[in-house]
Parts: sequence; structure tokens; C-alpha cells
Amino acid sequence: MSDERTTEIIYVPRRRPRGSRAGIHRGRDAGGSGTFRDQVPFLRLPDARRIDVRATLRDPFEGVHVRRFEARAAVEIWILVDLSASMSFCGTASRMRLVGDLCRALAVSATRVGDGFGLIGCDSALRADLYLPATRHRSAALAVAERVEGATCTGRSAGGMLDAARQIAGRPKLVFVASDFRWPDALIGRVFAALAPHDTIPILLADPAEAEDLPAFGLVELDDLEGAGRRVVFLRPSLRRSWIARERARVEALERAAAPFARRPFRLADRFDAPALTRHLMTT
Amino acid sequence: MSDLSARLGATAPWMLWLLPLALLPLMLSAQRRAGVPASAAAPADPLSTAIGRTIRFAGFLALAGLIAALSGPYRTGARITRIGIGAQVSLLIDRSGSMNETFAGRQPSGAEESKAAASRRILGDFVGARPHDLFAVTAFSTAPMLVMPMTDRHGAVRAAIAAIDRPGLDYTNIGRGLGMALAQFGSDVGASRALVLVSDGAAVIDPRIQDQLRAAVSRIRPNLYWLFLRTKGSPGIGDRPAGEDTPQAAPERHLDLFFRGLGVPYRVFEAEGAEAVAAAVRQIEALERDPIPFVEERPWRDLTGLAYALAALGLAVLALAKLAEADFASAPPADRSRDGAEAASRPIREEAA
Repeated sequence: MSDERTTEIIYVPRRRPRGSRAGIHRGRDAGGSGTFRDQVPFLRLPDARRIDVRATLRDPFEGVHVRRFEARAAVEIWILVDLSASMSFCGTASRMRLVGDLCRALAVSATRVGDGFGLIGCDSALRADLYLPATRHRSAALAVAERVEGATCTGRSAGGMLDAARQIAGRPKLVFVASDFRWPDALIGRVFAALAPHDTIPILLADPAEAEDLPAFGLVELDDLEGAGRRVVFLRPSLRRSWIARERARVEALERAAAPFARRPFRLADRFDAPALTRHLMTT
Repeated sequence: MSDLSARLGATAPWMLWLLPLALLPLMLSAQRRAGVPASAAAPADPLSTAIGRTIRFAGFLALAGLIAALSGPYRTGARITRIGIGAQVSLLIDRSGSMNETFAGRQPSGAEESKAAASRRILGDFVGARPHDLFAVTAFSTAPMLVMPMTDRHGAVRAAIAAIDRPGLDYTNIGRGLGMALAQFGSDVGASRALVLVSDGAAVIDPRIQDQLRAAVSRIRPNLYWLFLRTKGSPGIGDRPAGEDTPQAAPERHLDLFFRGLGVPYRVFEAEGAEAVAAAVRQIEALERDPIPFVEERPWRDLTGLAYALAALGLAVLALAKLAEADFASAPPADRSRDGAEAASRPIREEAA
């Protein structure tokens, strides 16, 4: 609990949450004892404890004014975890390990401030073994988050992502989508469109071994984890350059696809760095 | 293809049941595999595709070659009939005692050569001048001698001819010699046949044998050449005897008449010296130019070495591919330790998006 893998993430929802459930985020509604919001006539909020004496005296029409304070509301944090076979890739770091660290940190960070934490794992369909409805119960949230790292990734596609996105209905939530986004372009677009009501943060699982750390020369037999077959590649500087350029273009395409519906993708590689994610969440 | 499979064999054919194993490289690979999220991430590259196919084929070749080599493959020997230019030549050589003499009728002394030695020298050149001629050698004196059956082994024929200047003996019994020389022609059809009789005299042919000879000649229909080595002063072919014109008195003349009566192409060369013999042989050579079917022997051949060489080629390619393997940073997940020390020991990088 004390190591860096469970370091707290600080997040602010992009839109102020509605709702009466108490939390720490500045809500859209008035109520409670938070930050001063505005003054309203007494008749609108007949709360004698909150009469603003100064504003009442200042009013030339001698109306009585009452202070209103922002409600502190909770949001739900959801994470959609791609469990297709490509997520079992293990280059510089294990992908599922990174996702596990992220889930653990999110579970701790959300439940610590009274937000609900929900998790949906999916490959080509929803995965029943990795499903957690949003809960504020920390141990329940952590128990599922702990299971993510050891989850088996065998799915041939990430088609279940669309169902998962539709599961998260209702009030806007903070939704993390953890995947390597090696999906068909159409699926990427549809998933982001389905998540448009929410505050979506794509978490792009990357690995230097896939691009920058490619060997400059030699034969490599690639074995597609999602079953697209084996393929011998003769790496040489020119091919390596075009490979890296392709990867870069892929990330740019993902950013373009996400831009209308979501925040900028966060690149998760090598190790999970909670402060970096916090910075990303605060600046986007 | 069926012809090829009929000519191939193996000493341990049951080994060939293992041949389907050679298809294993299509499914498995000896290369270190790098599990990647999407093999489509690598750009399409024709060179890589070609190399991949080469490696697979090399694996197939190595296994197939080894299995084939273990089964001990061989190619069976065969006799192939081809068509060349030449003739079947049956040489009938007189080995009577008079052949030991010179053309002058004396025992050879000093630089002189006997009739047998001259004909040996000149006929030796005749054999082997054309590669597809078939030769048979028959000698005769009192009885015929089968020296060499019809063959295309010119070395053996030359050796047989080289032996004809061994001192001859006894008399000239030309009838039975002719019978054996005719019998030397096989039953092949379509070949040009020549019977070359080399003698320095003639003898009376028994009338019964004459009939047999006529029958054989009409069946075989050879071209007849008589190389008559005439000793100086002895009667020629055309000379009528002074007394009665009987076969006993002039056997050469009557043999000539017998040959002419056979109804086949016939030429006689009366040679009174080595140069005349050479000219006659050249003439025979020039006349006998027809297509002839000849048999080429292809020997049994062990193909194990070839199979091993192919396997070695495949293995060499595989070894090269193995040596050219690059260190891809990824490994299959099962081989990877999952403890945290590994990730923690890595340098911290900034993960700004």
C-alpha cells in the first residue's frame, strides 16, 4: 500500500458533477458547506442560518438574501480494460502489469476521496470475471484491481469494448480506457463516440520495444499474439525507420480519433508513474 | 515423372514414411519467436517475405534431405537406346598361317610387317573413329573363333584386333567363319550392317554350308566387303586358272562369284600392300554412314551424397538465419518473470503524453 504502485492520483472532472452524493469535487448544484457560490433571495432558499447580512443591508429594495454554497459531489471513476491477446505483450515491461498498477492506483485514489470505482474487463465480449460495478468500498475495489494483473488475455479482438462503453450510462463519469488501441479504426471511432457523454481519458499502453528500441539489424520472427500468424522480418535501418514512422502515425491517428470525444491519450510505458498521470489529468 | 520414379529406389524405403516430417517447418520454426501485439505493425517488406519463405524452404529441404539420405536413395542403372551415325560392323579375320607372312610371301624380317600386323594397324584405326559403331570380331582358321561379340566398347574391340597378329595356324575354312560372322549381327532392325572379311586367300565352301550362308545373308542383308590381302604372285580374284575352272583350282574367284550371287551390296578390295589396305578401309568407312540405334549404359548411382548435400545446404541456410537473429526486446509472457524487481530497476523515464 505504501509503495509507488499505489501512489495516489489526483484528478479533477472536466465537468462539475451533479448529484446529491457527497464527495470532494466541486459540484454543479448548490448545497452543503463548500465554497461560496452565489446569493439568492430568501424566498428561493428559505434557510435562516445562511442569511447574508451584508448583502441584505446593501439591497436598496430591502430584500433578504441567502448565501448558497457549492455542493461537494462525488463522481464515479470507471476503467475499461482491454483484455485482448495483444495486451499480454511483454516488452520492456508487461502490459498487464502496468494496467494492474494503474487500476490499483485508481481504486485507491477514488475510494480515498469517496468516489466510486468501477471496472469492466472485455476482450471480444465482456468478461464476467473482471467486472466491478462502481463501488466506494475500498477493499472490494482493490480486490478486483489486484486481479487485473493476473488476468488471462486470450481474446482475438477488443470488440467487447463497445458493449462496455454502452454499459456506462447515466451521469457523466470519469472513464479511463486502458488499451494498446491496436483495434480497427472503425472500432476506435465507435468506442470514443459511445463514451462521448463522459470525461474519457484514453490510456495508451505503449512499449519502446515496439518502436524506438527495435534492433537495427537482424532477423526477427514476429508471432502475432492475436493469431494473425507468424512473419519473418529482416530488420535493417531503413525498415526500422519506416516501422517507427508507422507507429508514430498510428498514435497520431489515435489522437485525431479521440480528439472530438475525449482527452488526449496518456502514454503508459515502461513503468506506471502516478505523478505523470496526475499532471496529465490536471493539464488536459 | 513416372519414368523418373521408376528409376529411383531406396535401400531402406520404410524410412520414407518419415518424409511428412519435412512439412514441420511450415508449422514450426527454429527461429526465436517474438510475440508482438500486431504483426501488421511491421511495414510490408518483400525482402523479408522472401527471406521468410527461404528459411521455411530451407527447413523443409534439411529435413527432407536428411530423411532421404537415411533411406539410402539410388538411381537404378538403365540402358538407353539412342540414335547415332554408324554401322554394325562384323569383322571376320583370317588367322591362317599365311597371314603371318608379308605381302611378298616371306616371313617378316626387320622393318617389314606381316599381313596380320598391317591389317591390325589399319583396322585398329578404323575402330573408334566413329563413336557409335558397333563391332564384332570373329577369327577363323580351320574353325571359327568368337573373339568379341557385337559391342560398342571400342577399347575391347581394339584389344581384340591387337591380338590378330599373334601367329596364325592351320588352314582357311572360310565357310564356317562366315556363318559365325553373320551370326554376330543381332536381331535389331534398322541398323546398317557391314560384314568385313579380311583374308589372304579363300577356300572351297561346302555346298550345304553355301545354302545356309545364303539363307543367313538373305535374312540379315549385310553389306559385304572383302578385303583380299593378296600376296604378290598369287592368283587374283579375277584370274581364271590355267586348267579347269573349279572352286578347288581357283577358290578366290569362286568365292567372289559366290558373294556376287548373294544379292546383297558387295565390294571387294584387292590390296597388295599396307597402303592399299588403308585405302580400302577408308572406303568402307565412307560407305557405311547410316543412322544406327545404339545403347548407352547408365550406371547405378548412389544418391545419398546428393541428399546429404541438399540437407547440408538447407542446414547452412538455417544456421545463417539463426546467426542473423536480432535481439528483439520482447519474449513470450510465460518466459518473463513477473516480480517487481525488474520494472523497478529500470531507469525512470518521463511519460509525458
